[in-house]
Amino acid sequence: MEIIEKIKTNKSIDNLTEIQKFCLDKLESTPLPNPKSEQWRLANKSKLSNFLDYSVNEKNPKFDTPFPNTSQSNIRLVIGDNCLINVIEENYSIKQLSEDKLVKYIKEQISCFNQNENWSELLNLSLNSRKNTLGLKINGSEIPPIEIFSHASSNSLNAKTLVIFLEKNCDIDLLQVNLGKDNSSLSQSTFFCLEENSSVNHGVVSYGENKSNLLNSLNVIQQKNSEYNLGSLHFKFNYARFEIRIKQSEGNAKTNIKGMQITKKDEQISTYTKIDFNGPNGFLDQINKSLADDKSHAIFEGSIIVPKIAQKTDASQLSRNLLLSNLAQIDTKPQLEIIADDVKCKHGATISQLNEEELFYMRTRGITLPEASKLQLSSYFQEITSFIPVSKDRWDLLDKLLNEN
Amino acid sequence: MQNKMKESDPILEVENLSASTDNLPILKGVSLTVYPGEIHAIMGRNGCGKSTLSKIIAGHPSYNITNGDIKFLGASINSLEPEERAQSGIFLGFQYPIEIPGVSNLEFLRVSTNARRKFLNKEELDTFDFEELVKEKLELVKMDHAFLSRSVNQGFSGGEKKRNEILQMALLEPKIAILDETDSGLDIDALRIVASGIKKISNTQTGIILITHYQRLLDEIEPNYVHVMSDGQIIKTGESNLALELEKKGYEWTDNFIKNTK
Repeated sequence: MEIIEKIKTNKSIDNLTEIQKFCLDKLESTPLPNPKSEQWRLANKSKLSNFLDYSVNEKNPKFDTPFPNTSQSNIRLVIGDNCLINVIEENYSIKQLSEDKLVKYIKEQISCFNQNENWSELLNLSLNSRKNTLGLKINGSEIPPIEIFSHASSNSLNAKTLVIFLEKNCDIDLLQVNLGKDNSSLSQSTFFCLEENSSVNHGVVSYGENKSNLLNSLNVIQQKNSEYNLGSLHFKFNYARFEIRIKQSEGNAKTNIKGMQITKKDEQISTYTKIDFNGPNGFLDQINKSLADDKSHAIFEGSIIVPKIAQKTDASQLSRNLLLSNLAQIDTKPQLEIIADDVKCKHGATISQLNEEELFYMRTRGITLPEASKLQLSSYFQEITSFIPVSKDRWDLLDKLLNEN
Repeated sequence: MQNKMKESDPILEVENLSASTDNLPILKGVSLTVYPGEIHAIMGRNGCGKSTLSKIIAGHPSYNITNGDIKFLGASINSLEPEERAQSGIFLGFQYPIEIPGVSNLEFLRVSTNARRKFLNKEELDTFDFEELVKEKLELVKMDHAFLSRSVNQGFSGGEKKRNEILQMALLEPKIAILDETDSGLDIDALRIVASGIKKISNTQTGIILITHYQRLLDEIEPNYVHVMSDGQIIKTGESNLALELEKKGYEWTDNFIKNTK
């Protein structure tokens, strides 16, 4: 109940919006997620409680531009920074979603929420008023790559919401960057709607600093013949949780996901995914990698739901994990729920350590153990980082990872 | 024969070496001395300790030396890390070269070569200079430049992997090369290419140890000495005709030899 009081009495929030009120009502009955539920049973309770400890700050925190600087060929947006955009070019347009449409869409989403499963979104929408919400309607082709930043400032709990409508036949590269400062909590919720024949290469890169926390939820609805490619990377958070929910609303759509989480010290980072095939001929290829060192804990839980209507679904979910320390912990649970009888679905999980024979081979060529480990990790990371759009040319993510791990 | 006086100091001295893994003794008192310009062949049944000897000289962390010493250029190397041994000039050609997915062969070769060059106080090479050097060495093993852009050994045929090993040897210019069954899995043409590469790289200042089962490699590269290993020991040493005798009479002949010496 403490968090609800904190929001209601917070002076930085001018007036509660209709959505905030509605979500707060829902949170009253579920102020915290059920720790015994499948989705939350492995969540570190004290870290989750630490997430909620910081004071709710609705005001715009100062945004320090991370590297690299803005490029002329990219569009960069910072949520909360009085972010307004209205670009109309010959081939494409990027417009702000109207208030009515935004509220209507969010309300529709909330009506389908399960209070426990969607607790992260309920919290986000309770915390967030209009100014930290960015709604975009994107149309056309040859659209420049888009970078969207969310950030939390030190000693604060900040919430950011992003809603994107990708109209028919539209094709974009979008990188979302979530940044955590020292002792901060960021609640980020993203809603993505892909209309027919649209396609997106979506990157989500989240990294924090000392003692930063993140609750990051991503909801995607894919209409038929759409293609959604997600490359994600989460690292350097005291506590982070990435929830991905994708619904192929009529089937006949393609989803590719390559995600990775890296934990060190006593960090806990988890990824939960739910892919729902709601029609025939759906396709999914998913790989999730975890790398856990020191006393850290990485978690992956994935579920693929294939009801009777989703015949001819072709889905694959693989969890690959590297355990770098005897005290680190990795929990992984890829799972399938299949009712349709004419499908091709597979899932699997592996947990291993750095390959000793590969290391020895490299060392017999004069490469030192740290360098050999770095080369091995670079090959492990590369599969994911090369799938993240926008970043691969401008962001030296691989270097960043190798120098910090 | 191993004790005859030589004009220069030995490159490698293995002295009464015993070693084990998981408390299981594998080597039981091996002695071997290699002088500059010498080629030694080690033969023996599977499981007699040939490959273990090569891995221990290269510093494999899974083996413990329980007795004896390995000296390289006069100094004990027992406590050196594998990379320190490699940088100082010990090369191990693997029987089964390891595949390293995602690591480009070119980058791997460049990092390795620079590690050795740094030890030799030579200037490290940038990508462009290294490409020039590697182009020249590729000729030695008749490898296509396209192999450089692939991941280390990934998807290489058996012959290509062995040629890649010899390419590495050519780049690293070791003082001593231990080639563990480099001839296995090679067809006649590939064997000739590999053998010719080894001959071009070796000189009067380097030593070579060939571990092999077959005479056919020794037809291409004639050894100065042939050693026969059995049960973790060198039981017989001779000149190149020992290999021919072994091929004719088989390992039962060495079994009888052990019985008679006991």
